Amino acid sequence: MVVYSFYIFDRHTECIYAKTWLPQSSSASDNNNGPTTTTTGGTLRIASADDAKLIFGTVFSLRNMVRKLGGDDDAFVSFRTAHYKLHYYETASSLRLVMLTDTATLSMRNVLHQIYINLWVEYVVKNPLSPVEHKGGAGVKNELFELGLDQFIRGLM
Amino acid sequence: MASSKASRLGEEVWKTRMDKVNAELVVLTYGTIVVQLCKDFDSDYVEVNKQLDKMGYNIGLRLIEDYLAKSNTIRRCSNFRETAEMIAKVGFKIFLNITPTITNWTSDGKQFSLVFDENPFADFVELPDDGRAQDELWYSNILCGVLRGALEMVQMQVEAHFISDVLRGNDTTEMRISLIRYIDDELPPEDD
Repeated sequence: MVVYSFYIFDRHTECIYAKTWLPQSSSASDNNNGPTTTTTGGTLRIASADDAKLIFGTVFSLRNMVRKLGGDDDAFVSFRTAHYKLHYYETASSLRLVMLTDTATLSMRNVLHQIYINLWVEYVVKNPLSPVEHKGGAGVKNELFELGLDQFIRGLM
Repeated sequence: MASSKASRLGEEVWKTRMDKVNAELVVLTYGTIVVQLCKDFDSDYVEVNKQLDKMGYNIGLRLIEDYLAKSNTIRRCSNFRETAEMIAKVGFKIFLNITPTITNWTSDGKQFSLVFDENPFADFVELPDDGRAQDELWYSNILCGVLRGALEMVQMQVEAHFISDVLRGNDTTEMRISLIRYIDDELPPEDD
């Protein structure tokens, strides 16, 4: 199993956290601050801040379409292309977690739920120094959250 | 969700997943806060109520996430009646170990009362004997703010206030909660 990237969007539709895991060959991972080059399936592409916007647009439209067809309780879990699989999890407080993995990965819904419960709530929400609203990602990138997330994801791979 | 199911969920989460603190510590801490507010605002109890509500609001904004995580809630309540059940039997149960009674629904299903048979904040409490506190101070007003903040995060705008309190000599402690509206999803900003 390979995890490519992970995004968190808040209820104001803003991307408040993004992280990419580069393949083993590359040295350090990058937090999407600037354009980074990522090799996926032999093709070189540029990951940029626009990615987050595009991803949000996609999942938001898909979610609304799914609700229209299946009722308000319905939620989409993942979609798959030839190159990747996108997993989606939305909390009742409208926090949206998105993860991109390779196509063979099984459902990551539970993993995203665990990230919410054990990392987001514990290290971001309960951190008195972190603001309630995470404008521009304020308060999300704290050491415990980053470390916990990285360990959790690497443990899966 | 059936009401017995909500009770069971509340009971289970309370027993297995919650960190507990000594109840008397809570009473003393909360009492100290209220006393300090009364001092800071020169016994302007209307202002104290307001400040307590505001503190509660800020607590609620965060507390809801803990509630969702601990209760493993995935989906939204399908109507306001279910919301009331979850507030009384899961929310109050897991954070305060009490289950207020839900009563006095209006016929449109948008307003209800929570009657507190026990209120852990109010143990050993006497309101100041200055002739005004009995009429003006809502001692547990922080709870109104908590509900308002927590429900706002799950897209419900509500108004909550106490209408009676045993500390004031009333027979019951009752909080009135009204649903103002459901808040719509925010849309992403348009690209230029």
